[in-house]
Amino acid sequence: MASEVVEMHLKLLFDLDNLLSDMDEPHYKEIGFKIEDEEKLSLSRARQDLLGKLPPEIAGIYERLRKRYQKAIAPVDNGFCFGCFQQLPTELLTRIKEINTCPNCGRILYWRRK
Amino acid sequence: MNLSSLLTKDRVNLMIKPGKKNKVIEDLVFLIKKGSDAELIVSTLMKREELGSTGIGKSIAIPHCRSLAVDKLEIAVGRTTKEINYNAIDKKPVSLIFLIIAPPQDPGNQYLLTLGKIVQIAKELTKKDLVFKPQTPEEFIILIGQIEKDLKKRK
Repeated sequence: MASEVVEMHLKLLFDLDNLLSDMDEPHYKEIGFKIEDEEKLSLSRARQDLLGKLPPEIAGIYERLRKRYQKAIAPVDNGFCFGCFQQLPTELLTRIKEINTCPNCGRILYWRRK
Repeated sequence: MNLSSLLTKDRVNLMIKPGKKNKVIEDLVFLIKKGSDAELIVSTLMKREELGSTGIGKSIAIPHCRSLAVDKLEIAVGRTTKEINYNAIDKKPVSLIFLIIAPPQDPGNQYLLTLGKIVQIAKELTKKDLVFKPQTPEEFIILIGQIEKDLKKRK
């Protein structure tokens, strides 16, 4: 699978997981955005579908990290991993692999487009 | 944090072309991001809409999500030149749309606080019948600032 497709699926999966966790925030319900359980279930199914579209090893890494940290992906800013706030080694900044993980915390790294 | 200070005139478009909900949301996202980042944000926003409309009623909608594509809280506002079908909770069409995109890492949960604030401001806009009053982005930002001041005084 092309790395851009993997990256797109991963990013969407991550955004959906954030959506799911925000919906459980008490403040979210207080604001007035109440989501029915049935709808939550359909979102969970959509995330499972996305997970199934990823290469199994990447899906496995993602799920393991999500269980450990809740947020499996960390943006990179100014050479720092924004998950653990450690500086990344220079060689990692070439981003040669399909997915890159932080050598310190293990989170999947994401470089934002400027 | 003031909403009016987060808004800039290039992020307010009061002349959005009416169209399907996803197209209008896309036009608003383009005020913030372009390319594949915009595509990702639109996909997440539309997933959120599938869970239940963010059309809060009285012609206002507040689509929102977190996305890896942004590194800080981003807000854009659009008003369509003709009301659009948004499947809002009151089943009425929508014209004024506040779009909020937050980064995944969000110290102090500014995202939900801002979302709550926008809901409050939106209610004031409808209560005072001000949704269609501002004619320029500058007027809109000033109006939001005034509403924020009034809300603060009432506290």
